[in-house]
Amino acid sequence: MSDPSRIVVLGAGNWGTTVAQLVAAAGHEVLLWTRSEEQRQEIQSAHTNRRYTGEVEISARVEATTDLERAIAQGAVVFIVVPSNAFREVSRRLGELARPDQVYLHGTKGLELGTHRRMSEILLEETCIRQLGVLSGPNIATEILRGQPAGTVLASRYPRVQEAGRRALQSKDFRVFTGDDVAGVELAGALKNVVAIAAGVADEMRLGENTKAMLITRGISEMAKLGIALGAEPSTFFGMSGIGDLVVTCESPHSRNHKLGVALAKGAKLEEALAAIGMVAEGVNTAKAVQELSQRWPVDLPLFHKVHEVLFQGLSPAVALEQLMTLPPARDVPQVLA
Amino acid sequence: MVDEKRVKSEVVGRVLERVRARAALDGGRPVEEVVNETLYQERERLKRSRLERAESDRAFYARVQRELPKIAPVGQTKLLKEVIERYAAEICGHFDERVYTVTTRALPTALNLLLTSLSPQRVLRELSVLSNLDEHLVLEGEIESLKALEKLGTVVLVPTHSSNFDSVLMGYAIFRMGLPPVTYGAGLNLFSNPIIGFFMRHLGAYTVDRLKTDPLYRETLKEYTTVVLEEGQDLLFFPGGTRSRSGAVERHLKKGLLGCALAAYRNNLARQKSEPNVFLVPATLSYPLVLEASTLIDDYLAETGRHRYIIIDDEFSRWQRWMAFLRGLIEMDLRIHLRVGRPLDPFGNDVDLAGRSLDPKGRPLDPSKYLENGAGELVDDPRRDAEYTKALSARIVGSFRANNVVQPTHVVAFAVFELLRRAHPGMDLYRLLRTVNDDLSLAQADVEREVERLLGEIATLARDGKLERSSSVAESDVAEVLRQALRSFGTYHTQPVIERRGVRLHPGDPRLIFYYRNRLEGYGLLGAPDLVPSRREP
Repeated sequence: MSDPSRIVVLGAGNWGTTVAQLVAAAGHEVLLWTRSEEQRQEIQSAHTNRRYTGEVEISARVEATTDLERAIAQGAVVFIVVPSNAFREVSRRLGELARPDQVYLHGTKGLELGTHRRMSEILLEETCIRQLGVLSGPNIATEILRGQPAGTVLASRYPRVQEAGRRALQSKDFRVFTGDDVAGVELAGALKNVVAIAAGVADEMRLGENTKAMLITRGISEMAKLGIALGAEPSTFFGMSGIGDLVVTCESPHSRNHKLGVALAKGAKLEEALAAIGMVAEGVNTAKAVQELSQRWPVDLPLFHKVHEVLFQGLSPAVALEQLMTLPPARDVPQVLA
Repeated sequence: MVDEKRVKSEVVGRVLERVRARAALDGGRPVEEVVNETLYQERERLKRSRLERAESDRAFYARVQRELPKIAPVGQTKLLKEVIERYAAEICGHFDERVYTVTTRALPTALNLLLTSLSPQRVLRELSVLSNLDEHLVLEGEIESLKALEKLGTVVLVPTHSSNFDSVLMGYAIFRMGLPPVTYGAGLNLFSNPIIGFFMRHLGAYTVDRLKTDPLYRETLKEYTTVVLEEGQDLLFFPGGTRSRSGAVERHLKKGLLGCALAAYRNNLARQKSEPNVFLVPATLSYPLVLEASTLIDDYLAETGRHRYIIIDDEFSRWQRWMAFLRGLIEMDLRIHLRVGRPLDPFGNDVDLAGRSLDPKGRPLDPSKYLENGAGELVDDPRRDAEYTKALSARIVGSFRANNVVQPTHVVAFAVFELLRRAHPGMDLYRLLRTVNDDLSLAQADVEREVERLLGEIATLARDGKLERSSSVAESDVAEVLRQALRSFGTYHTQPVIERRGVRLHPGDPRLIFYYRNRLEGYGLLGAPDLVPSRREP
């Protein structure tokens, strides 16, 4: 266990590689863990990660490795940036390796399929890790990799985690805000992906800016209603991970969930649409999870339910929209936010 | 054994040092202001106090108030020290091992003697009945772990709190399990109780005055608890802070006192003490009948919606109620269960028999690392520690619930209350309790059907380790559970809680039905809603 003082990023996908670049840009050496030997070699020799970040030149401060044990042994601060469906498995492996004095942050947006667990809950179940936090916000990897200014929120109940995470990431182009509502930031980050699918549908149908604004506003209302029922702080939905991330996900054609909505509006079946995108669209699983959660929590979520019907019950997007527009009268700002 | 004088001077020294350090900070609170706060808080308390001790407190604070404005900063610090010393002196216990040995070895007899001293003829008649109280306290759960850990570090026993009888039973149970004496944190009101004051004063109890709202008092109390733990003295306190008024198992615990376990552990590590570990051992006490049930539930339901924090005059101070309670217990062959839960470290991790902390998957870990900065150095971080204590509190609450032993009275009260509630849809709790009366009877067959369903659901929870059953619930059929519950309900309380007349059951005391059903609150049984808001329990 030589020198456990490094910053480690687990997962060399699109966002994981971007986080590694951010840490490098902040002036730190990074150890980037990937499962793929091929990817490791590419990052080490060619300084690119074509599959996920195209032509972007990976910083020389980034060292790629496939050795998880070594990475964790050397890590003081560890970022976990793997898809939500791989999070449990990675956490299990971390259970054998993690130490109680390490700081862990994750940047995974989604809920576990079946259990509806948040990612931090999975870590708490599988490992000795306590000092953990979550990273979320309006963070389109492509723009960040181009060096365009962006902000994010880092939420943790532990001041040390907030400080360590901020120090690892903060640079002139990347501003880190802090908060302590871990559950809220995780839930907002997961739930907005469902709204993004609806936004993609609306864009493809050329419904205009008013429709889009209505979708975003109703979207954040429903996110807040469910989030608060599940333990989030209301104010979190006004922050970086709430309205911030929702706006960008609904506006940006880069978002996978948005792309999925576009494909669905064109008449593609769910499987075809997913195959065409070629990456995981977290919103699909989250829509399913929300459907199951809303059976247990009596929260009214018409927009979420319609997205679910479009995804899984073959409801056409046009009919879904019409049904949403003709619902019984409703409050503007939900009671929980008033 | 703890050196009382040394503990006291350590406590005073630490608190004084901390207050002065805070005063020295930029924008910190000056010493004069801290003393003024004490004067204000204590004056408010003394306005309402009728205790003997209040006179001497009044004289003391009158003097402090006269002197404070006239003296230089050095003098202010001296006054501050006097205040802290006064608090510390009140808190410190008077542990006497000889008394402990005598009293616990023969608790039932000692109880009798005490009772005898109150009314000799009456109690003498009861003596024969009382001699086998022993059989009516069932000790179960992780007793071996408790014994093993007691030798490996400092143990903090944290039981549920239903009745003032808990203190007596815990003291006796500790003796019966063969453990060395523990120090109690007992409410000041218990010391003025004629029956229990004697035990309290001599079982190593230290005093907790919950009426004292002065932050300086709270700080002194926490520091005392921490220092005693550092001294290696095993401790017992009720983390719920007060008896459960609703009858429900505690869901919110006092984090301040719980946090002392972590503080002591951290201080032990800093001083490189050879056995630094502090273990928390939850324990659930489950009564078929509760001595003060009637007073407690009245207080819970008090019209103002805000119950009294301290009840001085209740069943507990009337020996006749004690006698009725104990006689009922013995004649009906009722059993109080004390289930020891799995020991935890100050971070809420499970601890094994060897005293090792375990991660959620049972792998050993080094808990001291939770307090380090990654470079092997211990660092202070109150917010971090508060998070650890929150995790500990959640684990203790989970243990309380899982080790709750269901008794026939709980089952029948829950089923009956549920039938009554469903018969009055849309009615709020208070109206329901006012509406239900003796004339509103239920068919026995309906109750039996509901009890049967409930027993099935309880059996499932028990199989999953989420709840425990007393043997009378686990092994009896519906009719027998009902019979036992009705018998218990008909004996101790001044009027039958539920009474059978022919084939109908009459709710005699809806408040007490509510009280006993609350023991099964929060398990989602029979699809019933939660009726005790978890925040309402203090």
